[in-house]
Amino acid sequence: MLVEARGLCKFFGVKPVFRKLDFHVDQGQVLLVLGENGSGKSTLLRILAGLLQPSAGRLYVGAESGEIGYVGHQPYIYPGLSAWQNLRFWSRLHGFSPDGGRIEEILVRFGLERVRHEPVAFFSRGMLQRLNLARALLLGPRVYLLDEPSTGLDRRSRDALHGEIQKLRESGCAVLWVSHYPERDLPLADRVLHLEDQLGWMDSPAFGKVAPQFASPDTEPR
Amino acid sequence: MLPQVCLIARKDIGLLLFRGQGVVQAALLGLLLIFLFSLAGSGSKIQASWMAAVFWLASCFSLVLIFNGLYAVEEEGSAREGLLMAPIPVQSIWLGKALAGGLLLLLLQILFIPAGVVFLGAGQLSSWSTGAGLLFSVDAGLILLGSLFGALGQGQSTKESLLSVILFPLQIPLIMAGIHVGASLLGPASGSESLSSWFSLILAFDAVFAGAGLILFPFVYAE
Repeated sequence: MLVEARGLCKFFGVKPVFRKLDFHVDQGQVLLVLGENGSGKSTLLRILAGLLQPSAGRLYVGAESGEIGYVGHQPYIYPGLSAWQNLRFWSRLHGFSPDGGRIEEILVRFGLERVRHEPVAFFSRGMLQRLNLARALLLGPRVYLLDEPSTGLDRRSRDALHGEIQKLRESGCAVLWVSHYPERDLPLADRVLHLEDQLGWMDSPAFGKVAPQFASPDTEPR
Repeated sequence: MLPQVCLIARKDIGLLLFRGQGVVQAALLGLLLIFLFSLAGSGSKIQASWMAAVFWLASCFSLVLIFNGLYAVEEEGSAREGLLMAPIPVQSIWLGKALAGGLLLLLLQILFIPAGVVFLGAGQLSSWSTGAGLLFSVDAGLILLGSLFGALGQGQSTKESLLSVILFPLQIPLIMAGIHVGASLLGPASGSESLSSWFSLILAFDAVFAGAGLILFPFVYAE
């Protein structure tokens, strides 16, 4: 088991975000986290990433510092550096020897090879998100925390993202994936964690169907 | 830890020099201070202690701008959390920023020295080795403290203005020592005993600021 939470609670002051959350993610599993805005999905991922402390409960993440790939709402990039320089910096900071071939390969996988030497400051929102995903994948962690990773991506990039998540599952990584598009992303999930009214419950996409409140009318077709 | 410190310092220096912002402002501010003080002393000979005071004052003001710029680098791309999640001691960020700040400060001080000669009429130092020792030892304390307080002011303009208010009083012992030793190097020679006691004070404060940074930085930066 790579991630396990038992009775996890988070309060901001006296305001509860979620209470008594129980879930686990095994190796090679994708857990889709669903819930409305403000239900605590991003907070949960930030706790798992070690960026926030839980208020109560037990949390086990079977990965060392640096073995967690987190893609949040903010791209962890330096606008003054190029895509290639950004990836090289993060790679070296995580203790990997600078491997130009690996960086090149990941840039190609995310369709950034033609702009690799351009300053990131000139990138569009979608290109930034692709670079953010490339950064997370380059570091080869065991646990991936993806907070709405398809934000800003066009259809082709979304399909590529699905392909990458499938590869991660096959390579034995654990993926926690926050999504607002369950119809589109559910086929890739092994389990689903619903967050609602400060509580959470696990569901299997094979047996359960998406609750109506999560099937938003603006859900994009795959 | 050293490779990560150097990596962070190299990235920061590259970004600050690439943007120009921060370094150019700091250089202009320091040079302006030296020029303005030269006007105040025109027609009469400026005392050695005044020259040393102006030099260190210019360095301190430049330091604030440099560290504001160094910590703003992470805020632009929200990279701070990425650094915090990296498998490195958090203190290596503080040291990396301090190293980058130190090198940029030295670069500016190299500009300030000839400006001091031209505008303030500073003469030859009586001992270049003591002068270099003074520069490195005082700079060490300034940048260790500057890097810690730079983290406090990250991305918040209200805190940035507080930075100079909190930082300058803490720098006073180092600046005082810098002025006294600097004046003795530029003017009539002081006894070696007096110099060594000033250097002891500088090194003691360097150690205090280094210890404070090591302990406090993780709390300050992760906030």
